[in-house]
Amino acid sequence: MPEAAVQPLLALTALGGATPRKAVHGVLTLEENPGLALASLALRRGTSRPTPFGIPLPDAGGWTGRDGVSIFWTAPDQWLVAAEARADSDFAATVAAEAPGCSVTEQTDGFAAFEITASTGEAPILSLMAKLVNLDPRRYGPGTATRTGLEHMSVFVIRPAPGRLSVLGMRSAAGSLWHALETAVARIAP
Amino acid sequence: MLIPHPLLGLRDAQEFTYLGDAALLNRPDGLTAPEAFNDYVYLRDNPAGVHRELWFHEQGDRSWLIVTRNTLTHDILGVELARDVALGAKGAK
Repeated sequence: MPEAAVQPLLALTALGGATPRKAVHGVLTLEENPGLALASLALRRGTSRPTPFGIPLPDAGGWTGRDGVSIFWTAPDQWLVAAEARADSDFAATVAAEAPGCSVTEQTDGFAAFEITASTGEAPILSLMAKLVNLDPRRYGPGTATRTGLEHMSVFVIRPAPGRLSVLGMRSAAGSLWHALETAVARIAP
Repeated sequence: MLIPHPLLGLRDAQEFTYLGDAALLNRPDGLTAPEAFNDYVYLRDNPAGVHRELWFHEQGDRSWLIVTRNTLTHDILGVELARDVALGAKGAK
């Protein structure tokens, strides 16, 4: 029997490309982040709060990150744990080991992550937020994350730093989310 | 309309879905009290004025809130987490 031809198996990004998509408009850069690994963490009744990766779990609306791992609050007693460049690993298993007694679920493949950075500080990010989501940009400053609606899609809006905005959306709607974000970025960028 | 979420602060009412009267939290046993259960299912007060209502933060943290609202003026007089209210009622029994 002839040997089966080996097809090159390439992992595609949420937008279907072999490499992450990137768009630069003035001072704003929008980039797909295919390496972000995600796992949800929920406390069970009567368990104490763990500190996975040495990071204390943030309170309502909060985001904390260090050394490429970040945790943000999603609901009472629930958080999402995110790690850069670990999407190809079994990240949920890593989180489960770091949070004994908690319920941990793999989330990496459910989401598409987009990073927006401004080279001139916070001002362009604030005007972009005002255009994109119905949140008070002053209340959702650096160190916060929240879930809200963006063009009828549910997204997580994360502020890791003054000049940065991350948006996590449904992976199946990655194209629509990219379109919404890129249109806004192109219009805001001076 | 902005709803002052007890955990997240002022949030747009568009993020929420409305269920109705907060009396829905107190469900009678349909087997031992069929009359009360019939009233629970079919009868609703529809006051013009102060009303306690259930709102679900669907595009947010997915918590249920009890919003005390004046239906004539749309003033919001108080907001609590429905979970706290339900657990408090359970603890009081």
